[in-house]
Amino acid sequence: MTASSSARSLALSGTRSNNPRRHSRMLSLTALAAVGVMVLAACAAKPSEKAASGTSKPLVVGISLPLTGDFSQPGGEAKRGYEVWQSMVNAKGGVLGRKVELKITDDASNQDTVVADYSKLITQDKVDLVLGTFSSLLNYPASAVAEKNAMVFVEPAGGAPKMFTRGFKNLFFAQPATAPHQADVFVDWIKSLPDAERPKTAAYPSQDDPFAAPVIESMQKQLEALGVKTVYSAVYPADTTNFQTIASQMASKKPDLIAQGAVFEDGVGLIRSLKQLNYSPKMLFQTSAPSNSSQYSDAVGMANTEGVFYTVSWNEKAKTPLNPEFVAAYAKAYAGASPAEDAADAFAAAQILQAATTAVGSVDQSKIRDWLHANTPETILGPLSWDETGAPKGKFLLAQWQSSTVEVVGPADAATTKTVVNPKPGWK
Amino acid sequence: MTQLVQALALGLLIGGVYALMASGLALIFGVMRIINIAQGALLILVAMITWWLWRKTGIDPILASVITTPLMFGFGWVLYRFVVSRIRDQSASMSVLLTFGFALVIEGVLNVVAGNRFRSATPSYFEESFRMGGVSLPKTQVYGFIAALVVLAALYLILTRTWTGRAIRATSQNPSGAALVGVGAAGTAALAFALGTATTGVGGSILSVLYPFFPASHYDWISRLLGIVVLGGLGSLPGAMVGALILGLAETLTATYGSLRWSTLVFYLVIMVVLLFRPQGLYGAKLREDAV
Repeated sequence: MTASSSARSLALSGTRSNNPRRHSRMLSLTALAAVGVMVLAACAAKPSEKAASGTSKPLVVGISLPLTGDFSQPGGEAKRGYEVWQSMVNAKGGVLGRKVELKITDDASNQDTVVADYSKLITQDKVDLVLGTFSSLLNYPASAVAEKNAMVFVEPAGGAPKMFTRGFKNLFFAQPATAPHQADVFVDWIKSLPDAERPKTAAYPSQDDPFAAPVIESMQKQLEALGVKTVYSAVYPADTTNFQTIASQMASKKPDLIAQGAVFEDGVGLIRSLKQLNYSPKMLFQTSAPSNSSQYSDAVGMANTEGVFYTVSWNEKAKTPLNPEFVAAYAKAYAGASPAEDAADAFAAAQILQAATTAVGSVDQSKIRDWLHANTPETILGPLSWDETGAPKGKFLLAQWQSSTVEVVGPADAATTKTVVNPKPGWK
Repeated sequence: MTQLVQALALGLLIGGVYALMASGLALIFGVMRIINIAQGALLILVAMITWWLWRKTGIDPILASVITTPLMFGFGWVLYRFVVSRIRDQSASMSVLLTFGFALVIEGVLNVVAGNRFRSATPSYFEESFRMGGVSLPKTQVYGFIAALVVLAALYLILTRTWTGRAIRATSQNPSGAALVGVGAAGTAALAFALGTATTGVGGSILSVLYPFFPASHYDWISRLLGIVVLGGLGSLPGAMVGALILGLAETLTATYGSLRWSTLVFYLVIMVVLLFRPQGLYGAKLREDAV
């Protein structure tokens, strides 16, 4: 709507008249500033502290989590995992004979806030123990705060390679392997196939995410060494919403394998776009997206999940110590829901800290640290141990969607079935 | 060649939907100089309502906008009358704070009521395409585009052919002039705000089919929409449409011929270049301070 000349002539001639050009520029700037304000404010903290449980001297565990903002989905799951652990532990008398109290603050998915949160938890609130937050992005600065204050930092997520190049002594990653080694178990499976069944060509789209891109990068290198030809490889930004272009470029090259570094929406978006193009690869691997159980199957359609591979740190059906109890307690607390992997990882992180604290008989941080470096605590993910940088020494599980449920197909000793769906059936 | 046609077609289809989503923002700014940061959150709110309606009744998500549009019209009217009208005499930056606060409230309420998880409406046709030669056009995108065109045409007719629409335009061009010929400023502003909010009724229902969303998704959308209206010229509806088409084309063409990493960035580069030469945006009017 432009100002017509007649409308202008109606206006009183102005003593207040400013430079019109400057005025419209001002408006543009205000709008741009609005974007800025919004982004900044999106990062503001909203502390949501839990009430004390009322016992005389509880054992306080400080945690900051992304309960709002970009990582609020996994952050919320991690919170559930920690809380299920808390209620299970307290039902058995707590840790060191003290009731466990969680002090959880919200860092709004913001790096500055997570630093402020952990600084406050450690130096002002003087919590007895801390547990990690969610995603490499937030654990990177958070673990530095813990290291500076000589607090043991067991993190349920944060497997990006750069986490472990800083020489930290107090960092422990509560998953079986770091990002570059997540794909190893899939590559192992491909190696186990006879030559005729191996993929000849592969496409590697990945989100620019510290926990997705390194997995795919490392897989590409390993598969190229096996002679699988790369026909497409691209990294897209996190805010990409339209996948038709990526899908149509890949479809035109007809790769046997598509291996996507997918967080969630991007994994769903790519499958939808591939289906709209009616291109179904013989093998489909996605990093995290397929681990989101019903959220994933609802979004892509249950029939389309058949044969999709992913690697995962935890399996609901595993017979690891306390795992069935964890799954049952989670379902009881959250209206029959199945735990997400993120909740299980948080639970495992808490188990590790509990095991070390119980073993050394105090909250002495250096003793806990030394114990963890020397021992292999049992968790619902299986036994975990670490090298001197805090990187775990285990392997992920290779999972596959089969007949509307998730089965572990590798490595052999952890597999829940011997059947592997290969090649993947076409879209339904 | 097929690749180019495919990229252009997808860019236009996506651009049409972006245009619809940005139209409400442009309208509200045009009339009231209010930058409605809550527009993105309102879209997500509607997407959630649509998803729920679709899940409960099986109604087609895009058709559900027949229900959500009047709902959002009423919601916008109430919101304006009881909240936004109180800051009418304040500067534009005040409206940013107020509406951003409102966006946070919507996000928080959705978090509590609907839960913090991804949702996405999946009607039977959501993964099907129309095929023409080597080009494939996803049905959801085509239906969304058609719905967007219908709404934009209706909006155009309302603004140019009805008394209310003329009153809204008159107020946007010259409030004192409009008042002089008998247009009630308060009532017109409430109507324009309600109309702008009502566009989220269709926009949100299309969003629920095209993209997975969760309560915090609105940050992605509002930044994109603000980019569109700044490029087009704040407050200009044709500008918002052109801006939206440029965004849609920039995304798909860069992704096809350049690098994916650049696909979202290129649009913002275009904005910067345009603002250097046309600070008022492509279609923005150079307004006189005393005429605003």
